[in-house]
Amino acid sequence: MTDLLAIFIGMALINNFVLVKFLGLCPFFGVSKKLTNAFSMSMAVTFVMLMASAVTWPITHYILIPLDAEYLRTVVYILVIATLVQIIELFIMRTNYSLYSAFGIYLALITTNCAVMGVTLVNTDEGFTFVESMVSALGAGAGFGLVLVLMSGIRERLEISQLPDSMKGLPVAFLVAALMGLAFSGFAGMV
Amino acid sequence: MVLLKLIKRFYAIIFLTLVVAISATLLGLTHSLTADQILRQEHARFMAYLERMFPDMDYFEHEEELYVIYNVDDEIEGYAFIGSAPGYSSTIRVMVGLEDKATVKQVMIIAHTETPGIGDRIEDEDFTGQFAGLPVDRIYLNSDDVDSITGATQSANAVIRAISEAVEEIFKEQSD
Amino acid sequence: MIKWIKEFSKGLVVSNPIFVLALGLCPALAVTNTLDNAIGMSGAVMFVLLCSNMLVAVIRPWVSGIVRIPTFIVIIATFVTIVSLVFQAYIPALYESLGIYLPLIVVNCMILGRAEAFASRNKLSLSIADALGMSLGFMAAIVLIAVIRETLGTGALTFFGITLFTLPVLDEQPVSLFLLPAGAFLAIGLLLAVFRKWGLIKND
Repeated sequence: MTDLLAIFIGMALINNFVLVKFLGLCPFFGVSKKLTNAFSMSMAVTFVMLMASAVTWPITHYILIPLDAEYLRTVVYILVIATLVQIIELFIMRTNYSLYSAFGIYLALITTNCAVMGVTLVNTDEGFTFVESMVSALGAGAGFGLVLVLMSGIRERLEISQLPDSMKGLPVAFLVAALMGLAFSGFAGMV
Repeated sequence: MVLLKLIKRFYAIIFLTLVVAISATLLGLTHSLTADQILRQEHARFMAYLERMFPDMDYFEHEEELYVIYNVDDEIEGYAFIGSAPGYSSTIRVMVGLEDKATVKQVMIIAHTETPGIGDRIEDEDFTGQFAGLPVDRIYLNSDDVDSITGATQSANAVIRAISEAVEEIFKEQSD
Repeated sequence: MIKWIKEFSKGLVVSNPIFVLALGLCPALAVTNTLDNAIGMSGAVMFVLLCSNMLVAVIRPWVSGIVRIPTFIVIIATFVTIVSLVFQAYIPALYESLGIYLPLIVVNCMILGRAEAFASRNKLSLSIADALGMSLGFMAAIVLIAVIRETLGTGALTFFGITLFTLPVLDEQPVSLFLLPAGAFLAIGLLLAVFRKWGLIKND
């Protein structure tokens, strides 16, 4: 149990996907201007991470490894993720149209979210069992969500503050990320 | 005629399947071309480390995880094993050379991607050198005989853990 | 000819993938910790972008609308895997140093973006120009960031084993902040602000 907790905290905080591993940066800087959007986005991403990990684990361990075809993992994983996102998109479109239109293009963009692909790669590299992979996906998603929500809260404030023209938008967002990154590096060595 | 109609209807799927098939073939080809070289590289690097550690090595045998090093006179030069543990930003792999089954001869870091300038100080002589001559059972976290690295605690501790955990694995099996 | 040069040069400054389009940030920032990594990554990205743009431009007439994106993805993933295997076989040190960021090239928005937005709508020669321009712009950007991070963070700049130069004061007391992720964000944020101030790129 403590092993699983360690994996969760490791993925969420110590090796936070956005601030430590540089993954999931595009949505981090793009979507995070409104708090509600940020929250729904992170829910969606966490869900895709969980599903992707659940599907790629058996494929890796029962098909790729026995066939000595691990080099195919890049192609296979991204295809799995693309398919999953497509299916989820169709599902949301049919069941909750308002949510679907709120997401807009960002749902499809989860496919190219480095964080989702990143989780599947980490699961294989670290040699996690199925349960460990799910916990790691949950942790990664939680960490991603935490940082996204924090960032959007800060950006909402930045929108209405006085900044030099050249700093507005992305540059100041990067500086905020730098400070957050510094704060999160305090988690190193916790486990 | 029917075939043509079928192709038109399912064109998208057929096209994608074709693309995937070509991709898989291409990759399989690349893999078979590079697989040998990849293995050769790994083997060459492993041998390079072993030879640096035991200059008089002639050949080696391995029983499970422990490598037994022989010199030209068929005498045992020493032993070696590989340990690994997660560090700060990567899994650190170490090769530990032993004089006899109880004393360390040398420790070499064989793989890591720790932070350059901070975590990669585990490669410094000051750090790895301290293990030379140390009894194997004195190497564990917070041992009085082992120093860590300020500012690179996680990386340094990973090295120590890599050694101590591998020792436990191997010598536990030996005594079984 | 003029058109070719125009498509080529836009990727260098005006539509610089990192500083202007903000695409492909993830692997970009991660590999800017050393100059070697930045150059290695740029090389891989250039190969993948060039090959994928070329192939997509060539198969343009046969690609059916619905399966467009999955097709591009498979093509890009194939080239990424090829680069990965070649690096693993012939430049293992770089391969290990780049780690998971090498396979992650496949989700680099820049490559998929160029395939979708340009190569699928333009002929072969222009697609090549676009690929070259974008990858050179990418290389220039991440090499710049890497030089800053490595020089300030370790006090020296090394290029595949050869030390290019060392700085006097920073040699003993480097600003190791720049080696951390926070430093990468800091470097790119400040560079962006400076480029905007100097009018090299447009404001939001």
